[in-house]
Amino acid sequence: MSKYSIPKHLEVPIGACLPSPVKEQPGMITGNWRTERPVIDHEACTTCLNCFIYCPDGCWHLDEKTEQMVWNADYCKGCMICVNECPANCLSTVNELEFPDGVIRLEKPF
Amino acid sequence: MAKEVFYSGCAAAAYGAKDARVEVISSYPIRPYTGIMMELSKLVANGELDAEFVLGEGEHAQVSIAYGASSAGARAYTGSSGVGVVYAMECYSPAAGGRLPCQMAIADRALDPPGDFGSEHTDVMSARDQGWIMGWAESPQEVYDNTIMFYKIGEDRRVLLPQFCCQDGYFVSHIPGKMQLEDQKAVDEFLPPFNSPHPLNPEKPINHGPQIYADQGSAIDVQRAMAFEGLPAVIEEVVADYNKQFGRSYSPFVDEYMMDDAEIAFFLQGGHARTARFAVNNLRKQGVKAGVARLRFVRPWPTDAVAESLSKVKAVGTIETSTSYGGATRGGNLVHELMASLYNVPNKPLVTSFMAGLGGEIVTLDMFYDMAKVLSGAVKNQKVNHSYWVNFEPEVPFRPE
Repeated sequence: MSKYSIPKHLEVPIGACLPSPVKEQPGMITGNWRTERPVIDHEACTTCLNCFIYCPDGCWHLDEKTEQMVWNADYCKGCMICVNECPANCLSTVNELEFPDGVIRLEKPF
Repeated sequence: MAKEVFYSGCAAAAYGAKDARVEVISSYPIRPYTGIMMELSKLVANGELDAEFVLGEGEHAQVSIAYGASSAGARAYTGSSGVGVVYAMECYSPAAGGRLPCQMAIADRALDPPGDFGSEHTDVMSARDQGWIMGWAESPQEVYDNTIMFYKIGEDRRVLLPQFCCQDGYFVSHIPGKMQLEDQKAVDEFLPPFNSPHPLNPEKPINHGPQIYADQGSAIDVQRAMAFEGLPAVIEEVVADYNKQFGRSYSPFVDEYMMDDAEIAFFLQGGHARTARFAVNNLRKQGVKAGVARLRFVRPWPTDAVAESLSKVKAVGTIETSTSYGGATRGGNLVHELMASLYNVPNKPLVTSFMAGLGGEIVTLDMFYDMAKVLSGAVKNQKVNHSYWVNFEPEVPFRPE
């Protein structure tokens, strides 16, 4: 037995490995970190799923009904790895200022 | 069947990893440790070892790969030397805090400046407070044995910590020695596959390394402290099992040589212990009652074993092989913890430290004789300095070959 006792409310699983929430967490929106975003040309897209595989934040998925890739604006941090990895060159980098709903960092920095 | 071979420390580490059946290896070249990866890549290419061999773009990536592989539940192996070890510094605490028992083979090399390839322990000693298990071998045989034993210790459910499995660059890593490779079946029996308590698994999604609230920080750190608290008992158990199964005679923490009736002792780790034992043989012929206490683990620091071993003598000197500029004794690292271990012991010896074996310097027999003179003088005068820089002070003067 250990000589230490940890109060219940401070207990953390070993290695701080926690069950994943699996669904999106509204308290952890990271989309407003972006300065630019990937824009997809569905005509050119071959749905090879490279963007899905390479995205570090899971922000691309395949909508099986429309058979089109869907981008998640709430969590994409704008790293543009998908643009780099797209073999069909169907993704392009566009500045946030080009969009009416674009992330405007000066007005809302955090 | 066990097999007798003539291997360098690098080959010994590679075969230790092979017999431990590592599943993911991450590599990036830097001498002298790079010999380990050369050997392992051959074993993988020849089909003798079924493992993923991944090239990192640097040491930071190497340890990150090992972190990821260990998160996924694989037995991960990596390694480095000198400046490479410190380049990966950021990754050490996450691996320990995430309780991921990957192993990093270290063949020590001096840090810059200027460019220096020689053996010196400062590289990985700089990472001694990152929550990894850390210990030194003195021969290829011990490198092989430690590689297997460290996995067993680190993967124990009571522990779950990564390990630095260290050997002196060149002095151990590149000098072949006669050693025994054990039977694969026997090693498998001793070291079953890694059974991670929290592997990445799509069926049961979990987070590794999540953000926590500030007041949970201490709670996570105390968890690591608890693992270290129980660690000495696990090490004793594993070393005893290994000794029994493979006919070795390792002491878990402090390897003693002629310490029973010794008045003065050299306290050190790694390959220089072999020279120290030769020196002690010769000193004994001249009537000097000297002994050697060789440290096998720096983390966990074996406070009780060190105190028990060294409270037997009247004066002890550490041979540092690493630097701690501006530290309490103006010497190296071992002396601080040695003094702390002895502070509450009733019959504590006089303690000093010898700065030697830096930047690849060979600690010669003559140097050991000079150090013995200082220690004998200390016993006589009941007084000694905190530290001596060997070659640069009148008590331990420079002696041309």
